[in-house]
Amino acid sequence: MTNAPGTEPNASEGANTMNEDVDHDSSNGILYQLRGVERRYMRGSTPVLALHDVDLDIRPGEFVSMEGPSGSGKSTLLQLLGALDIPTSGTIRFEGNEMSSASDSSLTRIRSQEIGFVFQQFNLIPTLTAEENVGIAMIPHGQAKAQRRERSAALLERVGLGGRLDHLPSRMSGGEQQRVAIARALANRPRVIIADEPTGNLDSASSQEVMSLLTELQSGEEAVTIVVATHDPDVAGRAGRRISLRDGAVVA
Amino acid sequence: MVAFGYAWNELRRRWSRTVVTAIGLAAGVGLVMGIVGVSDGLTQAQNKVLSPLSSVGTDIIVTRTVAATPASTSGATTTTTTTAPAGGGFGGSGVGGGGGRGGGGFFGAGAGGGRGGAGAIAALNASDQAALLNANSSVLTDLSKLGPPGTKFTYDFFVPGTLITFPNAAVADVASVPGVASAVPGLSLQALHETGTVPTQTDTVTTGGQTITSVQRPPPLTAAQEDAVQACLQASGAFGSTTTTTTTGPTPAPTGAGNSGAGAGGGAGGGRGGAGAGSGGFGGGGFGGARFGAAFTKCLPASYQQYEAQVVVPEQTITRVLNPPSTNTETKSYTVAGVNPADTSTGLITTAQVVKGTWFGSKPADEILVNTAYASTNGIKVGQQLTIDKTVFTIVGLVNPTLTGNTSDIYFDLSTLQTLGSNSGRVNEVLVKVAKSSDVKAVAAAIHKKLPGAQVLTDEELSGQVTGSLSNAHTLATHLGGALAVIVLLAAFLIAALLTLSSVAKRVREIGTLRAIGWSRGRVVRQIVAETLGIGILGGIVGVGLGVAVCAVIGAVGPALTSTSSVTAVGSSSIGGIFHQATAAAQTSTKIHLKAPIDIAIVLLGFGSGMGGGLIAGAVGGWRASRLAPAVALRDLG
Repeated sequence: MTNAPGTEPNASEGANTMNEDVDHDSSNGILYQLRGVERRYMRGSTPVLALHDVDLDIRPGEFVSMEGPSGSGKSTLLQLLGALDIPTSGTIRFEGNEMSSASDSSLTRIRSQEIGFVFQQFNLIPTLTAEENVGIAMIPHGQAKAQRRERSAALLERVGLGGRLDHLPSRMSGGEQQRVAIARALANRPRVIIADEPTGNLDSASSQEVMSLLTELQSGEEAVTIVVATHDPDVAGRAGRRISLRDGAVVA
Repeated sequence: MVAFGYAWNELRRRWSRTVVTAIGLAAGVGLVMGIVGVSDGLTQAQNKVLSPLSSVGTDIIVTRTVAATPASTSGATTTTTTTAPAGGGFGGSGVGGGGGRGGGGFFGAGAGGGRGGAGAIAALNASDQAALLNANSSVLTDLSKLGPPGTKFTYDFFVPGTLITFPNAAVADVASVPGVASAVPGLSLQALHETGTVPTQTDTVTTGGQTITSVQRPPPLTAAQEDAVQACLQASGAFGSTTTTTTTGPTPAPTGAGNSGAGAGGGAGGGRGGAGAGSGGFGGGGFGGARFGAAFTKCLPASYQQYEAQVVVPEQTITRVLNPPSTNTETKSYTVAGVNPADTSTGLITTAQVVKGTWFGSKPADEILVNTAYASTNGIKVGQQLTIDKTVFTIVGLVNPTLTGNTSDIYFDLSTLQTLGSNSGRVNEVLVKVAKSSDVKAVAAAIHKKLPGAQVLTDEELSGQVTGSLSNAHTLATHLGGALAVIVLLAAFLIAALLTLSSVAKRVREIGTLRAIGWSRGRVVRQIVAETLGIGILGGIVGVGLGVAVCAVIGAVGPALTSTSSVTAVGSSSIGGIFHQATAAAQTSTKIHLKAPIDIAIVLLGFGSGMGGGLIAGAVGGWRASRLAPAVALRDLG
């Protein structure tokens, strides 16, 4: 939040709220605090209740897996946690800051600074090399190009792709692409990595590599909080905490 | 603020989309440049045509055409027909027309009448017509001047056409009008280059001159008739009954009737006396007294009431012009003009219009300037020699005369042409430069007042008479060209915008991902605008190249446009009638090849259009992208 001076009043306001809040001490150790979260949307003219009555706390450094069949609401929950969406009702506090009614630009800032994403389809920019794909995540921070290149190279080295800097996504395997995506997710030193079926398009060997990498990030010096939505029992098995969803509600 | 490397990579690696979009814009830009170029070209051409006089440093042109005096001001009905009468009648009336120029007395040059009132103008106008016809016809109707029939000849005739000539003095008159900065004479003539054989054009018939004597001797009176006469006379109480009378040779005094008879039928009718012929005569013969005469007349038998007549038929020589003159004459018609070599900035042609070679040099009498159009048609080059009317002239320069009005094929030194055309000391145009441009109308009116009957045309009036395809095309370009350019440009913009929209639709996941990893809405929009702007620049560059090519092709192919100006042209109407050429109205048609000029403004316009198209496409695509929720990055799009 250092290089977004225009939004600092909001941030300090949030800080003031936190100071006055009685729950401040109790929420101090909580990264995500969800209370009575509900998300409705319209599919055509049909109202859909995608998520309801979700109360959930996630602590920093946790490895959380979310399981559930299609339509259970896990994607919706992942979007809310990833600051991609806001709930219809209920509150979501992230690091004690109210996120459920934040503006698009506030959410963008949170995503940019606190959250890294890993997607099932990797979602790399097909026209950019591995290094450039990592670099574009740093563009909103206004870093110089040389700085971006340096950090991108280091991150790719970190995920074991030191020799693939100039490769386009089309010339890399799925596992390699997903590792580039993880490097991109780490670019801005996030507190959370939101991963949506990260192994859904990978063979088992690649899946192992990717999951090992994510586990390392969680347990290593980065101590990144990881939230993974998955169908894969192996992936879920690595998680410290497993959440199941059914019909838009947390069941376990 | 914009990731140019990213944008560049997008354009480079999605080159087919880039190229297709850029070509769409380029086509639009090229078309617009072509349209604007043509429109500009038409405007330039139109401006040239619209200021036919000022482009040669002239504000007013003073001429004298046959039809110059409007019938309404003359009171009398003035016939202004300029077609030649049929040959036969021409021979009769033309000979009697006064035999030379100068009969007109235009501008009050010597002849009586001068610059009188309205009635005088009408009279002058009529006599000018006669003079004009005479000037145009005298040489033409008398090819026999060139030699006996059968002589081969090559000859150049110079005739003033519909522009009647007037003395040089009129130029000074015009110059003396207040507000006139300078007045320069010009002489525009229609030239006919004739080659052929002198035809048997006339024949001479001498009639009359015979003296016709008719003597009729009546038979002697019979006894019965004598008795009857005597009885009659005695009854009348005239004289004694025994007198015998012999009447010989009654000499009638023919009245006008006899004359008319002779004229109509020659000598044949000479002896025929009218029934009343004797009424005045018969006084001789010794018989005095009216009473006797009356009685005698009454008593004479019918057969003696005839008389003998002697008539001299007046001798006449009639020269008849054969109509048409049957000849193998080949006629090439061209126009010539005489200018004062000293007047280099005002006149029918000026130094500024010399496109090749030079202006008249040290020996203007031997030098001519040739119209570029005429030169190219006839393969004439600078430095060549041209024989005109048995005189050798050197072509010193090619000129590009003004588009309208008085363009001639060949320009002579004025005095040389005056000599050639037997128009010594006479001109038929005065080109006037006015000191203050705002005074043009007032000065024109003053000249008109000073020289009644003159045709005084200002630049503005001339431009009003311009019609033809150029005028139409320009009107079309003005009214439709702009709209067409806008439509073409809008179509190009629409194509670019649609292609960008489709590109954005294909990149939904990519854009969602950018939003998810922290790109703001504005940054995504700017990125898309940067990409399309790049396409726009490319389209602009290619389009400018295309536009320059289009304009070059238009300039090379150059559709010809005509501009018709019904002004003081050296018409060939009166001559046309004689030589059975197509009779042309007093109009000049100028053909002008359309050019689509390229200037920096058009290039900038083209390039700007390309960029504008890119910006518009980017704005549309960016607007679409900004409406995408970042959550689409997570959506499973298969």
